[in-house]
Amino acid sequence: MRTIQDLRRDEKDAQSLRSRSGVIFFFLLILIIAGVFKILQLTVLDRVSYAAESDKNRIINIPIYPARGLIKLEDGTLIAKNIVTKDLYIKTKLYEISTDQIEQLHDKVLDKNRNIDQLQVPIQGEEKIWLARNLSEQELAKYEVQKNLIPNIQLEVKLRRYLPHKNLFSHVVGHLGLVNADERLSLSRAEYPDDSFIGKVGLEKSYEKSLRGKAGISLMEVDVYGNKVREINRAPPDKPLNLILTLDLRLQKIAQEELANRRGAVVALDPTTGFIKALVSSPDYNPNILNGSESGLTFSQSYLEESPFFNRAISGLYPPASTIKPFIGLLGLEEELITESTIVEDKGFFQLKEDGRKYRGWKEDGHGSVDLKKAIVESSDVYFYELASKLTIDRISSFLLRFGFGEISGIDLINESKSILPTRNWKLGNIGEAWFVGDTVNIGIGQGYISSTPLQLAVSLSAIANKGKIFQPKLITNNQLDDYGPDLLMEVQLENPRHWNIIEKSMISVINSWNGTAHNLYEEGGITIAGKTGTAQIKSLIDQELTVREEYEGIRKDIKNRDHALFVSYGPIPDPNLVVVVIVENGESGSAVAAPIAKRLIEQYQININES
Amino acid sequence: MSNRNPLDYSLNKPLVTSFNPFSYIFKDIILVLALIAVLVFGLAMLYSSSGQSFSMVMRQSIYVFAGLIMMIFTSHLKPDSYKNILMHSYWIGLLLLIYVLFNPAEGYTTSRWIDIGFFQFQPSEIIRLILPLSIVAYLHRKESKIRLEDWLYTTLAALICSYLVFEQPDLGTSIIVFTSGIIPIYLAGLPYKVIAAYGGILAIVSPFIWSSLLDYQKQRVLTYFDSNVDPLGDGWNIAQSQTAIGSGGFFGKGYLEGTQSQLNFIPESHSDFIFSVVGEELGLLGITCLFIVYGVIIWRTFKIGLSAQSPFERLACCSLGFIFLLFILINVSMVIGIIPVVGVPLPLISQGGTSIIVHLLAFGVILSAKRPQL
Repeated sequence: MRTIQDLRRDEKDAQSLRSRSGVIFFFLLILIIAGVFKILQLTVLDRVSYAAESDKNRIINIPIYPARGLIKLEDGTLIAKNIVTKDLYIKTKLYEISTDQIEQLHDKVLDKNRNIDQLQVPIQGEEKIWLARNLSEQELAKYEVQKNLIPNIQLEVKLRRYLPHKNLFSHVVGHLGLVNADERLSLSRAEYPDDSFIGKVGLEKSYEKSLRGKAGISLMEVDVYGNKVREINRAPPDKPLNLILTLDLRLQKIAQEELANRRGAVVALDPTTGFIKALVSSPDYNPNILNGSESGLTFSQSYLEESPFFNRAISGLYPPASTIKPFIGLLGLEEELITESTIVEDKGFFQLKEDGRKYRGWKEDGHGSVDLKKAIVESSDVYFYELASKLTIDRISSFLLRFGFGEISGIDLINESKSILPTRNWKLGNIGEAWFVGDTVNIGIGQGYISSTPLQLAVSLSAIANKGKIFQPKLITNNQLDDYGPDLLMEVQLENPRHWNIIEKSMISVINSWNGTAHNLYEEGGITIAGKTGTAQIKSLIDQELTVREEYEGIRKDIKNRDHALFVSYGPIPDPNLVVVVIVENGESGSAVAAPIAKRLIEQYQININES
Repeated sequence: MSNRNPLDYSLNKPLVTSFNPFSYIFKDIILVLALIAVLVFGLAMLYSSSGQSFSMVMRQSIYVFAGLIMMIFTSHLKPDSYKNILMHSYWIGLLLLIYVLFNPAEGYTTSRWIDIGFFQFQPSEIIRLILPLSIVAYLHRKESKIRLEDWLYTTLAALICSYLVFEQPDLGTSIIVFTSGIIPIYLAGLPYKVIAAYGGILAIVSPFIWSSLLDYQKQRVLTYFDSNVDPLGDGWNIAQSQTAIGSGGFFGKGYLEGTQSQLNFIPESHSDFIFSVVGEELGLLGITCLFIVYGVIIWRTFKIGLSAQSPFERLACCSLGFIFLLFILINVSMVIGIIPVVGVPLPLISQGGTSIIVHLLAFGVILSAKRPQL
């Protein structure tokens, strides 16, 4: 039974419980207040930054790269396209430790005819070694079965650049390669991830931006493991530009075929528009190897020594040699130093009054009495030695400059060399010597300090073909481009326009006259072509102080010392639509080696035009 | 007013004139409704945080249902009838704590779990509530005044449990176990002289204890409180959970719409970190509502406790009320990043059958202290 004491104790006990509860509650209150403040800070004060943080967690931007723009001809022929390749690779750092797996790969997956040595063509800077490119269906099936045995070897499916005509357009289209350290400085990894290809040369480089297009973005929701959950939004990529080339497939093929196994270049363009119809440099290369779209091939060392990547058509500098004579003749007429009928006695050499030095012509006994026409037709050096010496370098330089000598044409390809048009100042600055009259004499036959690229020669010649008008040489004829269509670059105005005809007639006679240097091209009833041969001396008689022809013959035994054969031409007369410049390195004879190529191209072009 | 003797509470049944079956069965309808509200809310949050796993919710529902039945059953028992069981349940808890150290479930780096085939549980979750209840039962096993040695025994009991948890190793939980043991001791009226003595002993002994700790034990203590050391990646977890709550803002991202939780950025989102899912999906508004309901539960617990008629019941209710509040505070504080990570689930909401059942049993004890309204 409870007592009063019990009740009292009970009451006291409850009292103590209440006060002690208060103490504990006070301590917990600290935690409560701290918690409330923290929750308010999270959800109210810092709400925005946490919301951003949360989005950053879950949303990733995946760029969507459009397939690279195609390159086509006007008739729709595909010159560069994209193909899906299935390649096997191994990470460079795993290569050494995976020899067993690579052996397995060759034994159990790859076709027997794949050459093991040729399989490894590592592209520089890439962290992957390609073991096999472009797997066949059968190899792919075997790989799927065996892939657990070769875990270090992985499959990559990729769109790669492929040129169906392989070498044919190599010096126009160029190739792609991995972004290198220099390019990386100006390119973000968002635009160009580490394994992306970029145009390295040719149109692939000059039109890189248009061909690549603008990457789109896919906003992807991912979970904490990086698994894609859903696409939130998508900005589709800009469609890249498909380039349309001015080139003519058949002309290109003929030029390539004619230059096969030779070093040289062909440039053919339409003088009335500046559109380039053929641009070939030999030797060429297969861009697909560098694009990674063709397997089992590699460049041999001896092949590389021929510098196949060097675009002779736009970068090669050659003395214009006798092909400059029509221009010098034209200047002589304009300056009224000569007329059509001015006669010069060609005894085989020209002697400078100043120092008595003798300049020999290519024909030892000379051409006899020579007027301008004969001088061009037979390519008399003495006639032009004398004319040049009278013209002086100043007048020659300023005149040739109007034709584009000493300039770059501004064609949309990289690595175009600037041709050299010497002046007094040029020699002082570059050679460190004063100009001598003898230098001018050499310029008169296109030797000495002057040099041209095949492209520049074609552009300059188009002025004669066009009676003064020079159009910007172009490779692209897309109507989406701002500079679409022919662009008049400059116009050479003569004091007397009749002088064009005098020069043209002489150039026609180079082929049509029995004594013409390219009479071998003449064909009864054939189309009329104006042309000029040239033979660029590498070891000149003058340079070597060789006075005896026999010594010169000795030097010629080394192929590399033989003269370059040049032929510049346009046709058909009277309405020329094609200017062709052909240079065959060490080809010796412009008429025998270079001229027939030009003729074939002009003839074929007429057929093409009539067909279309 | 009734003519009954207020001290005669041997009959534990209501004597109101109008018989209300609900208030008879549930005793405190407000408390039970609040509990059910939190439990249902918890199941909903579990569905969201488990990656919308219906089977996990079903499993949890079974525990909830079983727990509620056990709670109602317990609430109709006379406290005297189970006081002894409560007191001796300490030994069961102790045995489990020892057992887990020697036979931990496989697949964990720590010895926290016991695997009994179909079910895995952490004895520390049980001891957290068994310890205070057994201490309350021990202290009030007789009607007489609590003696000095009782304080020492109970303190020792709490220390032993705490040490065993520390050895699992789980420093955070061992502190919580000790706290949940010390709360009823203090509330029961631990004399301030004894507290002062404890303090003195602690001050003298703690350097010796520290030096007698093995290196790995010292290391464990140090790393726990050193925010620069993050051996378990807790920093990342906390940052993700803060991001979830912060990005939820005032109204939240919407039920099942929380990106942090649905995309698995929140670790343990269905168990210890479920509060961040509440914050992310339901916002400050949802948090506030949850706290209000929790508040109601605590208010009813103390109301029952303070108006209970035996010291045992009063002490049990108040201890459990504080421990319940403490668990909520610790869990929330951990999730929002103001205290280090501790393995404490959010009471009645986090996934886990043991926690639910033990908590509901504790509420059964609280409800059993409810006197009929006269």
